[in-house]
Amino acid sequence: MNLSELAFALSPELVLLAGACIVLMVGVSGGANDRLAVPTAFLVALGALALAVFADPDQIGTVSGREILPGLWLNSVTLLVRLTALSFGAVAILVSWNQPVARERGEYMAMILFSLLGLLLTASANDWVVLFFAIELVSIPTYIMIALSRTDARASESAVKYFFLGALSAAILAYGLSFLYGATGTTTITLFLVSETETSMRFASGLPTTAMIGIVLVFAGLAFKIAAVPFHAYVADVYEGAASPVTGFLGFVPKFAGFLALIKVFMSIGWELPTSLFWMLWIVAAATVTTGNVLGLLQRSVKRTLAYSSIAHTGYLLVALLVGPLAGNAGFMPRGTDAILFYIAIYGFMNLGAFAALTALQTDGRDAETFEDISGAARRAPGVCLGLAVCVFSLMGFPPTAGFLGKLFVLGGAFSLRPGDAMHGPMVTLAIIAVINSAIAAAYYLRIVAAVYFGTPTTKLSPDGGNGPKWALAGCALPMLLIFVFPAEITKFSKRSAAVVHSITLDAKKTLSRSSYKPNSSDKSVRLTADHVDHIDP
Amino acid sequence: MISSHILSWIVFLPAIGGLICLVAPKKQIKTIAVLASLATMLLSLTLFSTFLGGADDPTEVFGQSYGKLHHVERATWIELPGELKIEYFLGIDGLGFPLFVLTTVVSFLACLASWNFETWKVNKGIRAYFILFLLLETGMLGVFVSLDFFLFYIFWEVMLLPMYFLIGVWGGARKEYAAIKFFLFTLGGSVLMLVALVAMYFYSGAAIDQAGGSVASGYLSGSGTALTHGTFDLIELATNPTIQSYFSAVSTTFLGIKFAPIMFIFLFVGFAIKLPCVPVHTWLPDAHVEAPTPISMILAGVLLKMGGYGFLRLCYPIFPSGGQYWAFTLAMIGLVSILYGGFCALAQSDFKKLVAYSSVSHMGYVLLGIAVMTTAGFQGAMFQMIAHGISSPMCFFLVGVIYDRAHHREINRFGGLWLTMPKYGTLATIGFFASLGLPGLCGFIGEVWVVLGTFQAGSNPEMPWAYAMAVIAAAAVILTAGYILWLIRRVYLGTEREEYKGFSDTSSREMFILVPLAVLCIAMGIFPMQTVFNFTNGTLDLMLTMMNNGIVSVAM
Repeated sequence: MNLSELAFALSPELVLLAGACIVLMVGVSGGANDRLAVPTAFLVALGALALAVFADPDQIGTVSGREILPGLWLNSVTLLVRLTALSFGAVAILVSWNQPVARERGEYMAMILFSLLGLLLTASANDWVVLFFAIELVSIPTYIMIALSRTDARASESAVKYFFLGALSAAILAYGLSFLYGATGTTTITLFLVSETETSMRFASGLPTTAMIGIVLVFAGLAFKIAAVPFHAYVADVYEGAASPVTGFLGFVPKFAGFLALIKVFMSIGWELPTSLFWMLWIVAAATVTTGNVLGLLQRSVKRTLAYSSIAHTGYLLVALLVGPLAGNAGFMPRGTDAILFYIAIYGFMNLGAFAALTALQTDGRDAETFEDISGAARRAPGVCLGLAVCVFSLMGFPPTAGFLGKLFVLGGAFSLRPGDAMHGPMVTLAIIAVINSAIAAAYYLRIVAAVYFGTPTTKLSPDGGNGPKWALAGCALPMLLIFVFPAEITKFSKRSAAVVHSITLDAKKTLSRSSYKPNSSDKSVRLTADHVDHIDP
Repeated sequence: MISSHILSWIVFLPAIGGLICLVAPKKQIKTIAVLASLATMLLSLTLFSTFLGGADDPTEVFGQSYGKLHHVERATWIELPGELKIEYFLGIDGLGFPLFVLTTVVSFLACLASWNFETWKVNKGIRAYFILFLLLETGMLGVFVSLDFFLFYIFWEVMLLPMYFLIGVWGGARKEYAAIKFFLFTLGGSVLMLVALVAMYFYSGAAIDQAGGSVASGYLSGSGTALTHGTFDLIELATNPTIQSYFSAVSTTFLGIKFAPIMFIFLFVGFAIKLPCVPVHTWLPDAHVEAPTPISMILAGVLLKMGGYGFLRLCYPIFPSGGQYWAFTLAMIGLVSILYGGFCALAQSDFKKLVAYSSVSHMGYVLLGIAVMTTAGFQGAMFQMIAHGISSPMCFFLVGVIYDRAHHREINRFGGLWLTMPKYGTLATIGFFASLGLPGLCGFIGEVWVVLGTFQAGSNPEMPWAYAMAVIAAAAVILTAGYILWLIRRVYLGTEREEYKGFSDTSSREMFILVPLAVLCIAMGIFPMQTVFNFTNGTLDLMLTMMNNGIVSVAM
């Protein structure tokens, strides 16, 4: 593969990288140029999005993809993440159109682009080291974004808090990855179970202790990124301290990266989770949904409420995550991964929409924060409140919004084991816990809607947060309704992507059992693309 | 085009009206809304032509077994090939038809009752009010004709939203509390329904897998339709022998519990909250008291019927053995609702709350009649739903009429209103006597049929308790008579009071709403066959026959 082909295949990432550098330069060049940084960043995100759609020489959306560089495997998941992350990025830049108030827009916008680049690389990483770097590339810009977003002490406090905890989690993650390397001697993710030179599978009799420790530590490190119990305590404080546009960004990008990494961990071990790990994740998932929703009920601030809602959504996604490996046991049925990819994309937009509404509703010249701030806002800003209501009902998982379909797919995944399967009971119990929690959640989501529609208007409120957040809100709320009516293309896409990450190791195992495994180590891309196509629904 | 998609037209006509309201000038909105609901009603009345022959030729109209549908519309909505198929599937039979027409009639009258919107306490946002009102009508109509469980669930949930805003924005003093309570109660019930929805889909898939991966359709037998994976088709779930035998098999378990009884309960809870029956009825008095009059009419006239409809469409035909298993518990809940609702009504001093509690009591008869699973019980429950759907909106409107004038609802502060407002007094007496169950008026037939049905069930060796329940249910009529007669005495009889002397009698608009309801009350009491039974009994009897064939005794 020559250099120009390579550049073409990676064009969205490269445009993002170059764009981020240019925006940074525009920002520091001083004076009025600061304002230019925002539209430039917006165009960069749109340009990268256009490239992701049109410049696709390998048709990565339709086949299981190819490994274009050691450690970078472009496949259908990459395409899905490119499309979601870049359109999300464009909308997030719209929300931040007038942010931050201080003159650091160039730096701020560059950080958004860098963080998105990290997310894109996470999706393609096929090497533990690349994965680690990609995740850090997601996280480090977010620390800076929080600090830049506001000029008050609370932003600095939450940035510092987030930074220290983030650094700790990065250390745990790196430590865990070193165990995984120690267990296999390779950093390539897809070679975890089957090496290129061996003719039998590693760990045929179960994972060794080294690998188990590694997986637990990696999970602990990632649990921080996705805000799962017991690594959730920072979320409300950090969300409250950061400006609303940043909060909307934080709720999605690190979480998505974390789940992509978890999917890769499960993929590496062939979707067969040892029972002890299954129960660990089961407890984490149950605790996360319950904690998020119950504590969400107790909050006085809309932002903190949404922070706990973010924790709760991590819980729903963890339920779906557990279905993936179980499905691996029961047969080829990647419904769980499928649901994660669908749900998290939806979640990013509905969550960002809610924060866009808070940005659009200004109280005393700052973003609305508490329930009192938004009380009776529907009288003054009917459009914004309608958008907010759509996003909140979608978060609640209520029809006719896409959030309902997301909830349904998670639930469907948990039920998809045949009655009688040993894990059917635990999975169904977990699904019922999640569903009951979604009813509890309705109580606090309704408070948001009730505040804007039924509350008495305050005089301080003014809907003058600028047009950027309003357009962004429309860009988040409308798709929620449209996807509900026409979900077919998106579900097929997420299904296809899930099939890819499930197919690799399963197929390798099948080939091994026929003892005809002929590794072709000279050209990795051939090994990864060969014959997998027939396992993927068109 | 209209005739081939008549159900879709009726269901979405109000929504189209809502869209027009969105852009129409403010002064025309009321007119457009009333015309839209009127057109919907007229269009729905044309459906009578389909069902009129029911008395003479039941097989032609209701088929030879449960599952004969009219005006069917089917289209694939969401499909994942080989895995999931959600259909836009509408159809109507003797179960949905009367409730469907009831909805259009009550909605039209309630829309007329909203005509004095400008004089309300909260009179801002007329556009939003009528748009939400029309969307609510679309949601309600959709519930009664959707035969795909997924579609049914969507309509069921979506209907909550306009109701929530209608109570929360245009309600009384504690509107926010009432709206949220209404929403959370209903949602709490429907999450279990969602679990049942998913479980029934996957279990029906498992049944088909077990039978070799392809099974002929249960009720579309002539068409060669085959099932290859799970289904949301409510009629298929009830009639397909493969699915039915798997659902009721003792070896089919859900979390270690027999499938039919547990699924029955999951579905039941959601419908019981809507019905509502004790102890999940507490949202109802709050919602009624806070809701504006037209919304109370809809709430009592249509929304409560969805609970009963859900029992008859989902719980019983699909899980007959679950119904058998829980018969005593359900009948007991029904009986307790009758008594508790009656006693609570007796104790109320708020006019509207009294009517609300009387609804709880009346809906108790519906549950009791269904729970005993006899012909008369089912027919009586159905009749009771329609009768209550006519009499309770009338009662709520009567309360609204006097509230508009007196601006309070304290029963004890009224008196002698019949002398002040003779036309109003006469109509009120008809309405409340219909609610009481006076022979010759609509409330009577339903209650008597339910009591008869309960008594009939006593001969079933599995239901020896039914005799006692029949006796208590019959005796509870005294309770109803007690609170209604006492109410009439305190409000309408007695000496004329000074403070109400200047009140004008019912206006022509109010007469236009009350008179049709009064006429229906009388007509249904005198001609129960021609007004209700001829249209419903065919389907109900076939359903019972099917259930009796399908019941397998299940022990937990």
